[in-house]
Amino acid sequence: MDMHPRVLDEPRSEFDRMIRNESELTANVLIEPGKSYGFFTDTTVCIGCKACEVACKEWNNLPADNLGLTGNSYDNTGALSANTWRHVAFIEKSGGDGGVRDVEQPPFQSGWLMMSDVCKHCHHAPCLEACPTGALFKTEFDTVVVQQDICNGCGYCVPACPFGVVDINTLDGKAHKCTLCYDRLKGGLEPACAKSCPTDSIQFGELQDLQQRAQARVEALHEVGVENAYLYGVPGAPGATGGLGHLNAFFLLTDRPETYNLPAAPTRASNRVGSSMLSGLAAVAALALGALALFSTRD
Amino acid sequence: MSPTMTGVVTIVQEGRFQLTGDDGVSHLFILGHSAAAETEQLTLLQRRQARVRVRYRKAANLIGDTVSAIYLDE
Amino acid sequence: MPDDVPVSPEPSGSPQALGGAWQGPTYYGRSQLKPAPFEKWAVGGYIFLAGLSGAAAMISALLDAGQGGPAARPVRRGRYLSLLAPTIGAALLISDLHTPKRFYNMLRIAKPTSPMSIGTWILMGFSSFAGLSAIGQFLSDRVPGLRWLRGAARVAQVPAALAGAGLSTYTASLLSATSTPLWAAAPEALAVRFGSSSIAAGASALSLGEPSRRLRRKLDAVTVAALAAELGAIMASQRSYERKGVADALDGSWGRVEDWGANRLGVIAPLAVHGLSLLASGRDRPLPKALSSAASLAVLAGSLLLRVSILGAGAESAARPDISFRFAQPGNLPEREG
Repeated sequence: MDMHPRVLDEPRSEFDRMIRNESELTANVLIEPGKSYGFFTDTTVCIGCKACEVACKEWNNLPADNLGLTGNSYDNTGALSANTWRHVAFIEKSGGDGGVRDVEQPPFQSGWLMMSDVCKHCHHAPCLEACPTGALFKTEFDTVVVQQDICNGCGYCVPACPFGVVDINTLDGKAHKCTLCYDRLKGGLEPACAKSCPTDSIQFGELQDLQQRAQARVEALHEVGVENAYLYGVPGAPGATGGLGHLNAFFLLTDRPETYNLPAAPTRASNRVGSSMLSGLAAVAALALGALALFSTRD
Repeated sequence: MSPTMTGVVTIVQEGRFQLTGDDGVSHLFILGHSAAAETEQLTLLQRRQARVRVRYRKAANLIGDTVSAIYLDE
Repeated sequence: MPDDVPVSPEPSGSPQALGGAWQGPTYYGRSQLKPAPFEKWAVGGYIFLAGLSGAAAMISALLDAGQGGPAARPVRRGRYLSLLAPTIGAALLISDLHTPKRFYNMLRIAKPTSPMSIGTWILMGFSSFAGLSAIGQFLSDRVPGLRWLRGAARVAQVPAALAGAGLSTYTASLLSATSTPLWAAAPEALAVRFGSSSIAAGASALSLGEPSRRLRRKLDAVTVAALAAELGAIMASQRSYERKGVADALDGSWGRVEDWGANRLGVIAPLAVHGLSLLASGRDRPLPKALSSAASLAVLAGSLLLRVSILGAGAESAARPDISFRFAQPGNLPEREG
């Protein structure tokens, strides 16, 4: 990423006030309402430090949960939930045979897979389409957010999500998920996880820029021998199937999606509403007509 | 009766807020669904840096407590 | 899936056979989806009552139109039965919300992509018209000067019946418009199943207290037709489940409830009893009324167990990654992408 010229205006390390449009300096992107923003997560440079998990919990004042160890490699968080909006998955593909770790790894994290999972902020978000109160809405930054003062905890968004992201917090009785740091975006700051990522595995920016950057990265990886690299969540690719369109938070993966606990071909749930309603009504109407005919005979 | 804590509302995010006690120790609270207070009111309390007393219950498997009632303490 | 998507180098990376079980990896056996946080008996109970009430409103309206005065008793019972959903049903729904004090927020919007929003408004419309019809019936029965309310009840029963048709089947659409594999695998068949189960339940409930053998036979014939439709839908949905690889979700205890409670007790047994009864009624010795009543009760029990078991088995299909991964494969995508 090139550095924005404004970086030179702010040489200090300590600040007594916010920098105006700080995201220009930290992410090289000016945040303006009306544009489409998201994440490109390049898992080939993720080092599994979990700074994204910590930054997310800190900024959003989320309680620590899932206390204890899972025994699943370095993943003690387990999954996304109402109190966990960033989750780093660890999959050890090589080594560990006979209790001895490999001393050589294939390049580009191919032996150990690490991926920071997050809400995908789908273009045609099933959670939003399912929400009966209008609590879930598309913001001016093309992200999906749950309005906490409207949600009544019906929980219908939870099974609607094809990625198993949004969840109900039974204590406060409402649905929660990543907001793509909506409050930070409104203040000209990039999301906490993207800002804290030390390797720029999580890149924040305008969706089209990110998609171009990601495509170039995939081609570069193919050239150096990482044939497995592909994008998950761009139009036409796995993860953006079934009418979802595309995912504003998309990924560069090097193994099949299920390895990372992602579905290969999710679908837009609302596509099933029409045919289901019509079939049911047709059956009921047919039975009703038959009943009317039967009731109308005088015997 | 559930325990109570008194402090200043310092951070608010959605229905979660941080209360900093007189001893300087901060605790994370989650506004319970049956509490009379609403999430919008928390933001107003934080802006005023209001001093409140909360009645809470400990939450299992979480480092945080669930609030059942908030009283102004000023 | 594009050709350049990699397959895991593990030995289980063979091409996924259609209809076969999941051969690929999972993430430490963890769920990939989240199951619906619905209390199964509360929501299942509501769906049952909604189907029963909607069907009762429909059948009583059809009886009133076809038979008129001679069917006044079952018509009255049907109008009162239709109050179950707006009262007990609505209470069950509100109790299942995780922030019940905000239940009215359901009325903020009308969203066609959300069957829960569609259903909220169907329930509102149904409650209003079925309520008017029931109140008209009640007052016209008891207050001599208000006989004319009988006519008002007849007018209100038409929109009540139309809304009742929606009420009897929209809940299947509510389950199908999610990513829960079992519910999403056969949306049309599930809708026919729920709708016909509702009609059967409504007809059975009206037949239960009915002293007139003539009317009881007609209602039981409606039950037979509905159960036959339900049987067809059961078979169609089973075929879909196997083709899409989610049939394993019915292997557990909820699947047994669905098999024995919903299908055998709720459909096959009453279908046999009512079928025999209708055939035998031509002769001089009809089947005992107790048997017919037992069959009607079995239909009602089966209708409730159908809803609860589908909720339970669905939750299991969402919790099992082998089922959810097997379902979310390119082979299961609809032909038309959009």
